[in-house]
This record gives sequence, C-alpha cells and structure tokens, in this order.
Amino acid sequence: MDHPAVEVKGLHVSYGSTPVLVDVSLTVPAGTGVCVTGENGIGKSTLLRCVSSLQQPDDGQILVFGGTPGATPEFWRAVVTTVEPPTWYPGLTVREHAELVCRAHGQDPGDAGIEEALERFGLAGHADAIPPSLSSGQKQRLTLAVALLRPSSLLILDEPEQRLDPDGRAEVAALLVEYVADGGSLLMASHDDAFAEASGAVLTTMESLSAVAP
Amino acid sequence: MTAVPLTPVRRWILRTQSAHRERGATAGNIYFTVLFIAVVGGMLHKQLAVVFWPTHPNASRLAAASLVPILFGLLYLALRRFGPLALSRPAAAWLLPAPVSRRSLLLPSLRLTAIVAAIIGALAGIAIVGHGAPRTLDGSEVALLASAAGLVGIALLLVALAAQAGGRWGDRLDAVVSLLLAAGLAGLVADATGNHPVAATGWPTTGTLVPLVGAVALVVALLFALAVRGLARTPNERILEAAKTAGTLFDSAFGMEPSFLTDMIERRYWAHRNLRSVRLPARVPVLVGQDLLLVARRRRRLLWLLLAAALPVLLTSAPHWLIGVAILLGALMAASTAGGNVKTDAGNPMLLRLLGLSSRDAILQRMWVPGVLAALWSALALGLLSGLDDLPPGPWWALGLTLGPVGAVAAVRRARVGFVRNELLPLDTPMGTLSTGPLVNALVGPDALLLGIPALVAIAQANQLSWLTVLVQATVGVLGARAYLAGTTATDRVELHANR
Repeated sequence: MDHPAVEVKGLHVSYGSTPVLVDVSLTVPAGTGVCVTGENGIGKSTLLRCVSSLQQPDDGQILVFGGTPGATPEFWRAVVTTVEPPTWYPGLTVREHAELVCRAHGQDPGDAGIEEALERFGLAGHADAIPPSLSSGQKQRLTLAVALLRPSSLLILDEPEQRLDPDGRAEVAALLVEYVADGGSLLMASHDDAFAEASGAVLTTMESLSAVAP
Repeated sequence: MTAVPLTPVRRWILRTQSAHRERGATAGNIYFTVLFIAVVGGMLHKQLAVVFWPTHPNASRLAAASLVPILFGLLYLALRRFGPLALSRPAAAWLLPAPVSRRSLLLPSLRLTAIVAAIIGALAGIAIVGHGAPRTLDGSEVALLASAAGLVGIALLLVALAAQAGGRWGDRLDAVVSLLLAAGLAGLVADATGNHPVAATGWPTTGTLVPLVGAVALVVALLFALAVRGLARTPNERILEAAKTAGTLFDSAFGMEPSFLTDMIERRYWAHRNLRSVRLPARVPVLVGQDLLLVARRRRRLLWLLLAAALPVLLTSAPHWLIGVAILLGALMAASTAGGNVKTDAGNPMLLRLLGLSSRDAILQRMWVPGVLAALWSALALGLLSGLDDLPPGPWWALGLTLGPVGAVAAVRRARVGFVRNELLPLDTPMGTLSTGPLVNALVGPDALLLGIPALVAIAQANQLSWLTVLVQATVGVLGARAYLAGTTATDRVELHANR
C-alpha cells in the first residue's frame, strides 16, 4: 500500500475556549509503530479519538490509509481502537466474547488461536467468567487480547500499559512487536517510555507534533 | 469493642440535613403526598372497588384459593428482590462500617418494611375476601381476616429476612415460591376455562377466627422478637447489595429513568450465574448464534413465557380487543427475551466496531431470534384460545406465527430506545404538569405493535378467521420490518444511531 497508515495535517481541536491541539501534524508510515508521549491533558487521547473518527476536529485533515476515517464497516474492519471504554454483552463469557469477534471476521474459531491468546494474557483461568466480574487489569487484558486476535491493519491504542502488571506489559509489548512485524501499523499513546520502546514503536512527544510551540 | 450509641449520631445527621432544607419542606412533602393519595383515590375509587370489593363476590373456590399463592407469592418474591433489609446508600457507606450497634442501625429499616409488608398483606387479604366471601360476613370478621393476612405479610418478611442472612436454602425457597405462584396462575386459568360456581360459603365465623388470629399474632410476635435479636448477624454484603438496590430504585424514581433498575437486575442476574463457555452455533449467522446462546441461558424465563401463553385465557370474559392487546404485548415480551444484546450495542457501539458489521447486518441478524420467539409465543397463545373455543373457528395459530416480525420490530426498537429524554417539553394539564419524556420513552417499542393491527381487528371482531387475514397480517408484518430496517439502519454505518 502506498499511503501511510495515518496522515494528520494541521489538526485543531479546542474544548470551549481552551485549545487542546494546535496545528498538529503526524504521519505513521504503513507497517510501522508510533508512540505519542506527553503529560496528562496534553491532547494524546483527543488526537487518537480524532484519528479513530470518534471525534470531529475543528479544523485539519486526517487520512487513514489514504481515506477519510468514518463510521463505515470497511473502516472498522481495518482499524481497531481501545480509545473508548469497553462494554460487554450480557451472559457471554470471556472466551465467547473472543470467539464472537473472531467469527464476525470470518475466522475459524479453532484456528484463530483463542486459547493461546487467553493463555498469553493470563486469562485462561477466567475463560468461563463474564467480563464484568474481572478486575480492571484483566478487563484491559481482555480488550487487548480481542483487539489483537481479530484481523486488522491499524491498531490505535490509548495507554495499553495502563492497569497491567510488569509481566503483562512485557507480554503486550512483545505482541505489538509481532503485530508490526506482520505488516500491521500501530499508533498509541503511552506514559511508559520503557514499554513504548519495548513495543518497537518510534517515540514522539506531543510538543514535537505541534507546529506552534506551547 | 464497645459500640457507639447510634441515636445521637442519627439525630445529628437529621439535624444537619434539615438545616440545609427549606423551612417546612418536610411538612410540604407530607401534605402533597396525602393530597396526591386523596385525589388519585377519589378519581379511581370505582376501579379500586372493582379490584378490592366488588358489589357481589365473583370468584369460585378455585379462583379464590389460587389468588392466595399469587398475591402472597408476589409479596415474598418482591421482599426477597429488595432485600428485605436495606439501608440508604449514605448509611451503608458511612454507618455500616462504623462501630455503632448493628441492631439499632438496622431496626428502623425492619420496622418500616414490616409496616409495608403488613399493609400489602392486609390489602391482599381484603381483595381475596372481597372476591370470594359472601356479603353476610360482618365487619369484625373481615377485620380479623385482614389482620390475619397482614400477619402473614409480616411472617413472609421474617422468612425473607432469614433467607437474606442464610445460605442456599433461600434460593431454593424462591424457586418453590415461584412454583406456587405458577400453580396459582394455572389455577386461575383452569378456573377461567371451566364453569365453576361462585362459592361464597364455608367462611369461618368470629368464634373460630379470634383464637386462630390470636395464635398467629403470638407466633409472629415471637418470631419478630427473635429476628430483632438476630438482626446483627445479617451479613454485611447482603445489606450492601440491598442498599445498592434501594439506591438504584430511588435513582430510577427521581431521575425518571427505569433503565437504571432494569440494568441493575440484569447485571445481578448474570453475576449470580455460573456459566461455562460453549462454542457459538456455527450454522447460523454469528449474531443469531449469540442471541440463541443468550436465550438458551435464560431457561427459567422461557418457562415463564410458556406458562404466560395461557394467561390470555383469563381475559375471555373481557372485551375481545383486550385479548388482542394482550397477545401483542405478550409477543413483545417474548421477543424481548433476546433484547439484551441490542441494548448493549445501542448504549455503546464499541463492540459493534470491533465486530466490524454494518448496522443493517447487525440489526437484521438481531431480529431473527426475537421474531421466532414472538411467533411461537403468539401461535401458542392464540392456538390455546382457539382450542378452548374462546375464539371462532379459523387458523389462529397461523395468525400467531405472522406476529413474529411485529414482535421482533417492537422488541428491537424498545431495546434501542436509550435514556429518557427529560428535556422534552412538559404538558400542562388540568391535573398538573405531565412530563412527556418518560411517556414518549415508554411508548417507543410498543408503538411498533401497531403493525399487528390486522390481527388485533381480527381478534376483536370475533368473526371466523380467513386465510386472507393471515396473509394480510404476514404481509404487513414483513413490510413493516423491512421498512424499519431500511429506515433506521444503513449498510455504510456501524453505529446504530445515525446522528453522529
């Protein structure tokens, strides 16, 4: 594919009179990972929300694989995001959630590697639990496990290391390296530089993305 | 550890709270409540008389006996659902972990619940006496029977209290009471199908009632004293759970948002279930398979639906259009069994995005299981009515099957409704201001049952049913479902709501 995975030019977003993103530009070449760092409230999540088409910017251009991000099924078959708080279906176990997502993408549940994924994320012992009964860290692991199980071309992750213990962080970082090595693209925000480096992403600060120095 | 006396703490809380209230606010609230009850009672006194004290006793012995497990079973199950021992959320957060006497902390709640249980029990007793007893009973006998019923209400509360503190037997008892309730409903249906004489004889006299009620009162008083002694042994987590229920109930009432309560009940139901992962059915579309799994996990609800298919029989002496309305509402209830998944997607489209399905595909798949449930339920209910010769000849079961799409549209529309829009303009009526938000919200979903008008007209007219009517209903239902799908979903949009 010729187009970069993500191309952001001149992005402006403000909440009321408070500007959050001022003339922000960012490019994530296809098949690479970029990690945006920066303190709380600097606009990392807002940037990711705009790229995921979950928020309308005031101004600027966003292209994902050369097209405008939108609510179409095609967009959401290519892009997975964990920017939003997760929700779960009633009466469906952890394993069944994973299988449901795999089956919706035409994967054979036997070949999709559900058991391995649950094992790697430390959820094998909780396969029969319903997600609301999991701890917050386990819910985060489940979200990431499902996001990585299904096929996609671009992962947009908002602080994936959040609520994970050190082993979990190392495991997720290794999986992200694998994801990018297999041709996927990655855009994430993180507070943990070590985790970001371990995941093979190029680190960039929010300040460096803005054309106007704050 | 010495317990801190609770009364001064409570008094201080009350005093501090009332300092923030306007002068006379409490008196005003009491005034308005009493006025409201008086006005509504005055408006509805004829209807209330029909419910509690009809001019002539009109129930057979079977019907009167069936009412006992129904009314008291419902009371017991309601008590279990709401605690019965509950604290307000602030008290649960601040006073439950404090070193105060547990007994005096929980006693006001027990007292209030006992009064409510006694009143509801007595009202149930009056209703049963009013329908089943001869008008020759004098006032003292009726009063004694009502008091006995009130005492039974308190006794049920004490059993529910023990179940709240106790172990698994409480769940088993709930199942037994549910069975009794079902048996009572079955008794009513059997009564409606046969021609049972109104039996207004054999009621006890004052002479037998006085010692009986006295003995019951003594036993209940003794048990109550024991319950108060053992009050401190109620486990914390049960009280916390009940406090959450009470809090959510108030949130629902004050926010006029019934979904808070229904969501809580649903969450709690699944939290108490022990599930085992299974493979989703592979031969059907993925979301249909998921809905099938959800319905298969609600077997008890399916059983209730099966029994409820006999309930329209109770309406055979009522105008026929009422049977039609009951059938349509029943179809909606049956279809709603699988509604939880659409509700999740309507509340937060995150999972739909993860699934990557268009809203058209998703809703189309989500309509299958509700449609089949509605079709089967209506066919069963109408088939039963026709089998008992309560309907003129004709293929009524087939008409029931054609209600499938109608039930599916109504249930899916209901599940997608979301929160009450309290910003809608209130209506000024001579009776006071009517807020339209909850009204509009309550109608979204049932309004789609208008697609069942051909069936409703056929049932109301009570003429012989022709296949042409069945065909008309089938066509209207399918066209309505297609129009709903085309109008509210799109192939190029994942989210269920278009206004983004």
